[in-house]
Amino acid sequence: MTRKNAISLLVILLIFGFTLWAILPIDAVKLGRKGLHLGLDLVGGVHLVYEADFTANATGDDKNRDINRAVTTIQQRIDKYGVTEPIIQKMGDDRILIQLPGFTDIDAAKSLVEQTGFLEFREVELTDVGQPVTLGDYLEQTQLQLFDKQEKGERIFVATMMDEEGNMQHKTVAFLVSDDKDIRLTDPAGNPVDKEALNEFAGGLSWISARGDDGTPLTGEFLADAAPTISRDITPSPQVSIEWNSEGGTIFDEIAKRLYSPEGDYSPQHLLGIFLDSTLLSSPKINEPAYHGSGVITGRFTRVEVEELANLLKSGALPMPLKQPPLYQEKISATLGADFIQMSWMAGLIGIILVMLFMIAYYRLPGFLASLALIFYGTLVLALFKLIPVTLSLAGLGGFILSIGMAVDANVLIFERMKEEIRMGRTLGAAVEAGFNRAWSAIRDSNITTIIVCIILFWLGSSIVASAPVMGFALTLLIGVIVSMFTAIVVTRTLLRLFIHSPLSKKTALFSVDRGKK
Amino acid sequence: MFDVIGKRFWYFLISGIVILVGIISLLSAGLPSGIEFSSGSMLTVKFEEPVEYDLFKEELVSLGYTDAIIQSAGEGQFLIRTHELSDSEKAQLENSLSDRFGQVTEAQFSSVSPQVASETVNNAVIAVAIAAVGILLYVTWAFRRMPRPFHYGTCAIAALVHDALIAMGVFSILGALMGWEINLMFITGLLAVIGYSVNNTVVVFDRIRENLTKGIGSTFEAVVNNSLVETLSRSVNTSLTTLVVVLALLLFVGASIQNFVVVLIIGIIAGTFSSVCVAPSLLVVWDKGEWGRFIPWRKPSKPKA
Repeated sequence: MTRKNAISLLVILLIFGFTLWAILPIDAVKLGRKGLHLGLDLVGGVHLVYEADFTANATGDDKNRDINRAVTTIQQRIDKYGVTEPIIQKMGDDRILIQLPGFTDIDAAKSLVEQTGFLEFREVELTDVGQPVTLGDYLEQTQLQLFDKQEKGERIFVATMMDEEGNMQHKTVAFLVSDDKDIRLTDPAGNPVDKEALNEFAGGLSWISARGDDGTPLTGEFLADAAPTISRDITPSPQVSIEWNSEGGTIFDEIAKRLYSPEGDYSPQHLLGIFLDSTLLSSPKINEPAYHGSGVITGRFTRVEVEELANLLKSGALPMPLKQPPLYQEKISATLGADFIQMSWMAGLIGIILVMLFMIAYYRLPGFLASLALIFYGTLVLALFKLIPVTLSLAGLGGFILSIGMAVDANVLIFERMKEEIRMGRTLGAAVEAGFNRAWSAIRDSNITTIIVCIILFWLGSSIVASAPVMGFALTLLIGVIVSMFTAIVVTRTLLRLFIHSPLSKKTALFSVDRGKK
Repeated sequence: MFDVIGKRFWYFLISGIVILVGIISLLSAGLPSGIEFSSGSMLTVKFEEPVEYDLFKEELVSLGYTDAIIQSAGEGQFLIRTHELSDSEKAQLENSLSDRFGQVTEAQFSSVSPQVASETVNNAVIAVAIAAVGILLYVTWAFRRMPRPFHYGTCAIAALVHDALIAMGVFSILGALMGWEINLMFITGLLAVIGYSVNNTVVVFDRIRENLTKGIGSTFEAVVNNSLVETLSRSVNTSLTTLVVVLALLLFVGASIQNFVVVLIIGIIAGTFSSVCVAPSLLVVWDKGEWGRFIPWRKPSKPKA
């Protein structure tokens, strides 16, 4: 054993020891990395991709800023649900990718994400003589004209009706939009609508933005905090307590002062409408001329609903709505995933054992050494998966298992070369060195083509929406190819050199070569 | 020493027949694509009580899902593939099913919009094309010191196209028989086959390069033949070890990555054949200017030798 080889062997043993320590036990925390990172298709979960619905005149900078803000907002909403390691990312210019491992209620996940969460406060539009305006008043006009000429903003018409249990229900029935060109009525989805179709909702009140004295509309933007609470009256019911920031507090008090009715009058002129995503939640009466920065949102809420609402208000509004349905949605149940993992380990184990048996049967001693190198390969790759960390999807496991079969390729190339050299009458030592040197160009060129394919696959994976299988496969195969070049060349060579000068080297049968015969 | 190259036109015949059958199948049966490429929704529902397939299918038809493809996926479990479902449609469908067959759980659900599906198709095609060009460039570059390096690159690509065509053709036949659809895993498998195929071809070409430099062998044909015989056991052994693990994947992991594994198996077999028999033969045919022999009614041009 030469000194140099002894050092290589020592380094290899050290690396092997390190990889074993890193991967065992498989789910232990090592160097700050927890277990093997399993992809969504293995642990189950929800995968959503949304496209942002930007207004036509949004510039590139606007979009970029808004999409980043939307990602943060969604992150905050999801965080409250205790999903471990959710992935919320910007994808391209106008897409958002959401992956929630272990969270399989796709409908809940979607409603959590899709809510725009735009909170605003509105008051009832009044005529010149101070009478509340209804949808009917607008329908009677031959040419649409605003009653409150000062207020150019959108009107929301809300019909209030009784449901079967006798509870009040608010329903947004139409919008009135005014711009430079014209004034028009639309349905709740924003499409133009016939006046006749709206006649049944003629009694619906017209709500306009509630503004402070300087014209700033009061929205959720000015909220400092929101928390679920229980009202302290005769029939305690869940509600959301809100805290305004100082600017919001000022605007709110200015509005309250204007709407306050000393007589405690429950007429539309004195109501403050609380709207979430253009839906009226409740329209409390203003009881005091000033609230000094706090208030409550009441309505027909359950406990769960107030918690969700408080969460939504705190995380803030999405800067833009998301197009529905999502571009891509997928839900994988966790039981399916657990089976996959088991089966994949089994396949990997059986695969590696069969490859080792084949190598030993065909190449004898070198085959045995290559099998040791293969074990080294397996542990090193797994350690890299854990430490980088690589998210292992089913396809990724497939790539890893496939790479086991391909990892011995370099060894096969080298051993075939060695056999040729021995047949040509070289000594074992010379044959080993020649085998490695001569096989190198084939190993290099053939692996580079595989690496090219891996890189292209990775690009494909990053450019499409359902990316997990492709990227996982490309990454694990890439790591596999690179590591296998190292193990086949360095590890096997070092192990073989140990035997060159030992008595075993005289027994050519161990090298599956009959000297002199072809 | 075996004379492999001497039988080159037999290989072309065998490959030609397999590819032709594959192309006929591709043209007639095609490659039915999954929702990733054609958009739509896929829903796996699970009932607590076993439900008969016919009854289930009847119920879906009566709910208006006449276009839905329904597969039985185990006891009381069905896979429904249909157009892109909206939230309300899905909720309605599940409600109707639970009214009819009792408690239903949604084991798996995925839905792909037409926009995303067409992007995926485009990008998959681009990826395959770039992979082919990248490999052509690399192989040409790797063999740049040889006379006519472009021949090596082109023959490697020909072997790759050969393997890809066989993989798609055979998959199309199997798909038609078993009702399989292609998905992203299929494309991933196809790209892996491309990489694998070139990997093998390059090893053979590398030996040709080495033997040519050494100047062993009388003719180009003899050099090519020697080189591929010398690398034959390597080609076979590597294919065997790879096939072994892929079969293990098929047996143990099964259905969920079936597309991927089946493409790999076909591709590995085709790839071994093409790298040993087809690609080196093409090099020789090109070198000798024998293209005329592919056209039966023309007299073969005189070999250059």
